[in-house]
Formats: sequence, C-alpha cells, structure tokens
Amino acid sequence: MSFIPGHPVTAVVQRIEIHKLRDGDNLILGFSIGGGIDQDPSQNPFSEDKTDKGIYVTRVSKGGPAEVAGLRMGDKIMQVNGWDMTMVTHDQARKKLTKKNEDVVRLLVTRKSLENAVRQSMMQH
Amino acid sequence: MFCRNQTARATIARGSALEMEIRRGKFRQSVFLETPQDSDIQKKIDYEIRMREGACKLLAACSQRDQALEASKSLLTCNARIMAYMSELQRMKEAQVMQRVARRSFDAGPMDDRSPCKGKVAISDLRIPLMWKDTEYFKNKGELHRCAVFCLLQLGGEIFDTDMVMVDRTLTDICFDNTIVFNEASPGFELRVELYSCCSEEDYSAGSTPRKLASKLSSSLGRSAGKKMRAALEPGACSTTSNGGGATILLPVPSVPGPKYHLLAHTTLNLSHVQDSFRTHDLTITGNEECSYWLPLYGGVCCRLAAQPHCMTQQMMSGCLRVKLGGEPQGWTNVYGVLKGTNLFCYHQKEDMEANVEPVLTIGINKETRIRAAEKDPHSKAQNICITNQYGGEEVTHTLAADSREDTQRWMEAFWQQFYDMSQWRQCCDDLMKIELPSPRKPAIVTPKQGSLYHEMVIDTSDDIGTVTDILAHRIEEFELRAQLGSPPHWMALFDEDPPRSLHTHQHLPTHSPSPRLHSRQPRSPRCHRTPGLLSSNASLTSDSDSPASISPCFRQAWSPDASSSSGRFRPRTLSLDAKLSTLRGRGYSGFRCNCQPPTASSVSPRPAQTALSCSSSTSSSTSSEGSNSQESDLGFSRPSSARHSLRNLRAKLDPRNWLQSQV
Repeated sequence: MSFIPGHPVTAVVQRIEIHKLRDGDNLILGFSIGGGIDQDPSQNPFSEDKTDKGIYVTRVSKGGPAEVAGLRMGDKIMQVNGWDMTMVTHDQARKKLTKKNEDVVRLLVTRKSLENAVRQSMMQH
Repeated sequence: MFCRNQTARATIARGSALEMEIRRGKFRQSVFLETPQDSDIQKKIDYEIRMREGACKLLAACSQRDQALEASKSLLTCNARIMAYMSELQRMKEAQVMQRVARRSFDAGPMDDRSPCKGKVAISDLRIPLMWKDTEYFKNKGELHRCAVFCLLQLGGEIFDTDMVMVDRTLTDICFDNTIVFNEASPGFELRVELYSCCSEEDYSAGSTPRKLASKLSSSLGRSAGKKMRAALEPGACSTTSNGGGATILLPVPSVPGPKYHLLAHTTLNLSHVQDSFRTHDLTITGNEECSYWLPLYGGVCCRLAAQPHCMTQQMMSGCLRVKLGGEPQGWTNVYGVLKGTNLFCYHQKEDMEANVEPVLTIGINKETRIRAAEKDPHSKAQNICITNQYGGEEVTHTLAADSREDTQRWMEAFWQQFYDMSQWRQCCDDLMKIELPSPRKPAIVTPKQGSLYHEMVIDTSDDIGTVTDILAHRIEEFELRAQLGSPPHWMALFDEDPPRSLHTHQHLPTHSPSPRLHSRQPRSPRCHRTPGLLSSNASLTSDSDSPASISPCFRQAWSPDASSSSGRFRPRTLSLDAKLSTLRGRGYSGFRCNCQPPTASSVSPRPAQTALSCSSSTSSSTSSEGSNSQESDLGFSRPSSARHSLRNLRAKLDPRNWLQSQV
C-alpha cells in the first residue's frame, strides 16, 4: 500500500458488497470513514504511511450492514462502485457512498492482513 | 560657426574614436562646437552619466537580490541611453560636416519640401507568452528556475524600460503593464523592443561558486570570477543600440559585480504594425537553451501599438473663411474655420470653438476628398477653394473663400500638408486612436508573486475566536429570526416526552441546525435522568466547562410561545466569552468545539438511548480509543442532510487541521 510518486499504486484488494439498510428515509451502511485529500493525513491512526490521504474505515457499527459484509475497521477503501477513492476529498468520498438511488455499494478495500496473507501463500509455494 | 556670444564647449569622450581622429588632425575641434541642439543632448548625456554612476554605486552597495536586479536594470537603461545620445550627437556632427562639404560639391537634389507631421506613439499591454515543457512542471520539483525580465523600448532617441518582472514556471505569460508613450515620432519610426533577462538564482558575489552548477550549462556565468569580470567588461552586452553609420563610440564600462542582464529576444515595430487593437508580432530570439538566462518563449509578443499623429490631435490651421451656405449663389457666410484631424470645422466665431459649441458646418477632409482652387471669382480678388466629398454616392462640393490671396495660399498649403500627412501616417488617420497616458503616480504595491492562472484560493480561516463568535452569532440571529416567523420547527418534537423516530426529523432542519443537537439534552433538564445511558456521558459533559454545548438553539427558541413546556428548563447563564462561545457552539456547532478541544474520553455526542441506537453508544465508547480529536459522528443512522453538509464545510474551513470522520 505504499505510494511512490509517479508509479501506479498496487494493492491486494478484497471485494466487499454492502447492502444498505433502509431506515425510514435513510439508507445506512453502518461504518464511518476518515481521510481524504483535503484532510491532514498525519492524524490517521490506521494508515501505515502517514502521508497517505486515502479513505479509511474508522468505525464499523456492530451488526450493521458493513460488518455483515466483511468490512473491518482500518480498511482502506480503494473504490466504491467503480469510483476511485484514493484521490478524493472527504466529502466526495462520503457522497459516493451515500447515493440515495443505490441500494448496494461494492467496495474494493485493502488491508495489511490481506497482503500478508498473499505473501505467505506465495512463500509456501 | 563660431559665435562670440555663445560659450561653446566641445565634449568628446575620452578614448573615443572621435578623439583619436581629432588628435590625428583629421577634424578641427572647432568643427565639433556645439549648436543649441547639441547642448540639449549634452545635458542629457551628463544626466545619464550621473544616473549611471548612482546605479553603479547602488549595485555595489545593495545586498538584496531584488535591489541588485533593479539597480542592474537601471544601469543597463542608462547605458543604453548614453549610447543612444552619443550616437545621435555623432550623427549630428557628421551631418553638419557633410552639409558643409556637400554645399560645395554635390548637387542637393530636389529635396522633398514637405515633411510629415510628427505624432505620438504608444505601446502598451505587452504580453509575451511562454511555452514551458511538461518536464519543467512535473519532474522539476523543488528548484524553481526564476528569471528577472524587463523590456527595453527604443524609438528614435528615446529609450524607456518597463518594470521588472520575475518569471518562473508558474507563469504562462510575461506581462508588462506599463504604457510607454513616445512623443515626436515620425511616420517612418522604428520601435525596437528588446527583452532582457537575467537568471536570478546565482550568488553574484565575485569569486563564489554557484550551487547548482550541474543545471547551469552556460559557460558565461558562474565558473570563475575572471569570467564574470570579463563578461562585465564586455561593452556590447550593455545595449544593442545600433549606431547609425558611425564608428562605435567606446565607453569605458565600469566593471560592476552583480547580476547581468542579457538580451533574450528582440523585434522591431513600425507604422505597419500600428493598430487600434492588440496584435501579435514575431520575436527574434537570441540565446539558446544552454544560457542561464533562457526562458522558453513561444516566439511572439502581443501588444497594442497605437499612434496619434499630430495632424489628428492638433489644429493644423485655423482662420477666418467665407463659406457659401445654402442655395444662394451669392450668400457668403463668415465662419471661423479650424482644420483638425479629418475635418474642417466651421464655427460662427472663434469663441464658439473655445466654448465647445457645435460647429455650423463640418466638412470632412479625408483621403477621398478632393480640393482644388477654383477660378477667380469675379467678385473677389482671391481664388475660391472647392472641397468635394463623396457622401454615400453623392458628390457634395463646398466652396470656401479666404480673405486674401496669402490666406488662400496658406489654406491650400495646409490642405496639402494634411493630405501628405494622411498619406504618410496611413491607417492612423482613419480614426483617432486612444492613448491612455500612464498615470504619473507609480503604485507602490509590490506584488509578492505575479498572478498565475492557477491561483491558490486562500480560505480565510479566522483564528480570532472573537470573529468566529461573531460569525456564529450572525448565523444564530438569522436562525432566530426564522424560528420566530414560522411554526415551531420540526425538531421541537425532540423535546416531547418520548422522542422516537422523530429524531430523524432533524434532517429537515433549517440551515444551521446540525444533528448534534439531537443529543442535545439540556444537562440540567430532568429528562436527562431518564436515560441512564446518557448519564455517564452527561456527567462527562458537565465536567467539561463547555458541556452545555448540548444546548440546542431550539431551547433558546423555546422562549417563543410555542415551546412553553421547555421554557422552564432554562437557567440563565452568565455570558463570559467562554460561555458565550460554548452556547454558540453548542447551538450549532458542537463539532466545532470538538475540534478546538482535546477529546473527552467518552463520546461527546451522547445519544438518546433507543434500542436501535444502542449500538451507537457502544461504538462511541470504542471510539475513544481511537484518539481522533474530532468526532463529527453524526447521530445514529442519520442521513447527512444538506444542512449538515454546509455546516461541515464551514467547520472544515474553520479548522483545517481536522481529520474528519463521517458516518455513512
């Protein structure tokens, strides 16, 4: 998940499909995000690289749709329904997640444990 | 040509070619005695020499780069002017000599008696586009290659320089705002525009090695003090004024350490380039990429070159005339005629013209006009002047008569001169071009960085808490106003006994009421005892001096008739700044408070205990471990409304060091 300027970002990702929960007039996903290119990245407790301005999951509500779908706290969201999340402002990210006409959001998330898992499985062979 | 009553002093530059010639006896020194014109130029030369000395001293004395660049620029301009004056002086002397020689031997051919009138030429809004390579932008981080540039404009004997502009890769064009006006230009003028630039990164003290040697491939700057000195001694580098015909007058150029400007590009403009609008002209670029003073010019210069010949702006001829008006064959009307520009204005009397009264008759005098002297009028001694114009296919002839023959002759002469001027100045005589005179006061504003197309928007974050409270107070006033007008806002339902899903009504709040208000339970309200889950949070809140942040504006509004039930809950508060701020913040911006203070251990946003929301309180306790200092976590599963959206923006703007989190 490291970022080298000028080079494409590569990561091991997991697909997560969250079905929004309808609550009256609202659609809720059940997690909180933090980060964005307009935010101060050094205050991100989850990022490895403290200059990473990506969108991270800071909280997952217990039993909510996100937890059910497999989202974990500390995940970095790379894409939401095909929209890139690595170079967006906080508000843009929030908007992409909370579109009223979408019932399902498909996220691509990455986390350190994934990478470790892949590396281990590669080493075994 | 030696006049006894004039003190004459021949000044020849020492070491000049002229002096050598005199020494060799080719010319007698008396030949070079001054005429009144010469003394004018001499004075100018002396003045410029003094200026140059001053500039040299300043250059040697100043420590800051900006000053050094400015001083170097003045030095260059002074040098250029001195060269120009010297060469003009030389030319005049030579012309005198030639005249004397020519009078005897060579037949002065039919000289053109007529010379065109002079005019004002103005050049303004110079803009030179740049063409940076993408590598400059993207790879070249860190070092910013900057150059100081200015333009030198020369017409005839007048030399002006523009202000100096710092150019780096954030600029797309070099713009000079100056308007330069040259008076007394002839139609055959040549306006030479020269762009000088100087790299502004090196250390100019002699003998020091520059830091970025690798990037500077130029061999003329920076390698050794000796080379610098040699460059400084180069007289040709100072100006490129072409001395017409004569030998170059060598001036001992003082070797001054400091920034040196080099000619980057030049072009020559003349009458054909004059137009009342902007035009682009080609630049001849000297220098190449290897030079330190190089800038990637696109190759053109855009400017507005306007000319006002005197025949268009001044009265060329005026006097009394008689005009045949109307249909009467014998009716002569006395008028005062003024020939100016493309018209002959006929006023009743001279005073009318001064009073700006409308002329009785206006006769157009332009390229299409035909003027001839008619045959002698039997009634008068003088000839008539017939002016014929084409007005839309029709020929109209006006007949004028002057009082005497000499007058007629003078008028004819004036008309001929006018036609000649028009033919010389061509397109400038179609219409009067506007020339804006540069304002005499030079604005003393120093632009720290010339604006680029990619301005950074600086959001004014008010650090002053007082200003912030003012802003908030205004907002709340607005809010109050609105609250008093209409029916009780939806969120009043919050303060009913059981506030179930009505919590969600908060979404429909007017602009400034944010959701944090949901959890805004008045700490002193009896109600808060009902929810045990809240107690702890409340306790933590109350421990916080700003805890009444939870007071919602609606409580305040509760004083309005509708919410009588809640009015009793209030306890008036003392309004210290802290309290004031906290109430303001609590009303609208509890999140703001969060940003300004270290986070409390438990969630700063207590939630009413509802079954559906219980998970949120548990999560809120878990968030304490995160240590994030701003928890804008909206309540429950509420939807961020547009109201909160704008609030969020405001908050983000007010506290840029935020790391926002949003609940989705």
